[in-house]
Amino acid sequence: MTLPLLLAAAVDHAAQPSIAEKFGLELKYIIMQVISFLIVLGVLYKFGIKPVTATMEERNRKIAEGIKHAEEMQAKLAAAQEESASLVRKANTEASRIVDDARKLAKEHLDRQTQEAAAKANDLLTKAQQAIELEHKKMLADARTEVARLVVLTTERVLAKKLTEADRAAYNDAASRELTNV
Amino acid sequence: MASPQKQVQQLARQFFRLSLENGGLSPARVVGVLEYIEKHRPAHSLAILRAYHRLVAAEIARGRAVVEHAGVVPPAGLTAIAAAMTNKYRRPIASVARCNDALLAGLRVRVGDDVYESSVAGQLAALGAAV
Repeated sequence: MTLPLLLAAAVDHAAQPSIAEKFGLELKYIIMQVISFLIVLGVLYKFGIKPVTATMEERNRKIAEGIKHAEEMQAKLAAAQEESASLVRKANTEASRIVDDARKLAKEHLDRQTQEAAAKANDLLTKAQQAIELEHKKMLADARTEVARLVVLTTERVLAKKLTEADRAAYNDAASRELTNV
Repeated sequence: MASPQKQVQQLARQFFRLSLENGGLSPARVVGVLEYIEKHRPAHSLAILRAYHRLVAAEIARGRAVVEHAGVVPPAGLTAIAAAMTNKYRRPIASVARCNDALLAGLRVRVGDDVYESSVAGQLAALGAAV
């Protein structure tokens, strides 16, 4: 019973128009549409797609170059940072050394100044002692001279009073003998 | 060209040499020199006379022993001193006595610039200087 139904359906189907006929499709129109499409595609490719592609490639190239440049700059920045850190470390080391040297020099200078001050103080003390000693000696010499002068003066006065003419004559006689033997 | 002062000294020395006779000062020649200067009046005559006087005085002092004394000095002592000085300087030297009580006792003899001291004052002065 099924077969007659299938045959009947096939006959009905054969009797119906094809899809192309049903939709009004014709080959010449399709070919013309294809040619028009190809022309439009060629024009679009020539004046639209190709410049856009070139522009995009240029932009891509520039972006790549920019990225590359940025990477190089980053590398350079890192190197510069490393170098600056190295310089800072070196500067810190140098500064520490300079500060140490300055402290050392200041200490040496202070020691030297202290020694010089001590030497000057000793020198002044020695000179003062020498001056005191000289003054003491001068005072003693002056006193001795004054005492001698007073003794001589007193002796002269005493002798002027006590010497008799006989004493003077005897002394003169002795002096005369002494002077004749010069 | 010598300076005027040097010329004066040279002329005075020349006059002084003319005043010597037998190595000693001659009064007659001194008088002659003075007369010559008075008569001719050379330039700077006063300065010449001063220099000449100085030379003559020095020469007189060289031939004279001034014996300063305190107290009495016997003439024999003066004679002995004059003889001793004559012998020492090998030129005639006369002694001249001059009293000086400041010596206290003893003698001081001057011959030119030389001084010989044998007095109490001299010994006291030496003692005072030595102390």
